[in-house]
Amino acid sequence: MISVKDLHKSFGDNEILKGIDTHVDEQEVVVVIGPSGSGKSTFLRCLNGLETATSGEIEIAGMKLTDPKTNIHHLRQHVGMVFQQFNLFKHLTILENITIGPRKVKKIAAAEAEKIARELLAKVGLVGKEASYPDELSGGQQQRVAIARALAMGPVVMLFDEPTSALDPEMVGEVLQVMKALAVEGMTMVVVTHEMGFAREVGHRVLFMDDGLIVEEGPPKELFSNPQKNRTKSFLAKIL
Amino acid sequence: MDAIWQNLPVILVGLRLTIQYSIVAIILMVAIGLIAALMRLSKVAPLRWIATSYVEIFRSTPLLVQLFFIVLGLPAILPVNEWFGQLLYPILAAALTLSLNEGAYVTEIIRAGILGVDRGQKEAAQSIGMNGFQTMRYIVLPQAFKRMIPPLVNQAAQTIKDTSLLAPVGIAELVYKGEIVIAETFASFAIWGLIAVLYFILIFSVSKCSSYLERRLQVDKR
Repeated sequence: MISVKDLHKSFGDNEILKGIDTHVDEQEVVVVIGPSGSGKSTFLRCLNGLETATSGEIEIAGMKLTDPKTNIHHLRQHVGMVFQQFNLFKHLTILENITIGPRKVKKIAAAEAEKIARELLAKVGLVGKEASYPDELSGGQQQRVAIARALAMGPVVMLFDEPTSALDPEMVGEVLQVMKALAVEGMTMVVVTHEMGFAREVGHRVLFMDDGLIVEEGPPKELFSNPQKNRTKSFLAKIL
Repeated sequence: MDAIWQNLPVILVGLRLTIQYSIVAIILMVAIGLIAALMRLSKVAPLRWIATSYVEIFRSTPLLVQLFFIVLGLPAILPVNEWFGQLLYPILAAALTLSLNEGAYVTEIIRAGILGVDRGQKEAAQSIGMNGFQTMRYIVLPQAFKRMIPPLVNQAAQTIKDTSLLAPVGIAELVYKGEIVIAETFASFAIWGLIAVLYFILIFSVSKCSSYLERRLQVDKR
């Protein structure tokens, strides 16, 4: 589904990603962990072209992201993204937040787009909030709308950039619940998170990143209970 | 008082002309400002240069000089009066010069408004596959517009006041008509007083409309 070859990304002289090689299979849930500044968010943002790779190759669902001839807007319709800060469209209602993509980008009729949106709102447990504005919702509710907004485009893979890091602790559960349900349905997911419980329970594979490289990867049980590299050990010792 | 009553019809014709020039200039300045702001934010360097030069040239010279130069100066080297007509050219040139001058300020207002929209909003729009135009049209501009209303109204008030500078280049409007009446009646105090009051009513009602508009549009600030 996703293959990444020798991905480098620099901001000026500062090299953030120093050669990432990995792949994500269909229906796989990959959890990316690592200390802040390790490049995990940058890696995720490269996967939908919000950051342009300095060198290397990224292929998603048969489309070469790193090929300048690829229509990036078209590719992004197939790659859902959920942000740490939710980034709901502040001037639109909840329903409009979800329908605007299908309507304006995929040119789906308004009625059809609304039908999809209402189904998704039911799925994320927010029926009745259609006419509200983002600022009227709690952080957890906003993040669930953001997930619905991404799903409305019918993506083949979903990227989550620390989706619960900006939430109050009591709201983390409701968002993780929605993500877990998605994983169970077979959505291909790449999740950058500090929620080790989620990684352990839902993740098929965990990537530990540090200093712009994947240091170690493996099934969550093995990686958490028996890390091989010293850097992984010291990171896990601090957070577990 | 007699001077006012007897000459009121002439003054009101001037007021009507002032309102007409104001409306034209305000519409054009927003259109010009939007285009120039998008050019200033463009990835294409020459477009940025053109827009930046335009803004700097019009902001760094007095409007009155610009009006003299384009309305009265240009016909000295180009047969513009033949192209557009002796009567029409000064009117067109004056209205356009005024719009371009105010548009330079509007460019900066709109540019600041666009840059003030949270980066995350743009990224979210891109992440659902919107292209640059769609992101601007459906996400960034609607949000930018709300925060641009107060400075834009301010600029509109300035534009209404600046139409008085059309009088020195021979364009008939409120001040021009007033000067004619004063030349005949010598009623300086009464006529200038009346003209000031008329400007006040005009501009005050514009700012009142805008506070209403501002309240109506602040949906996200509840």
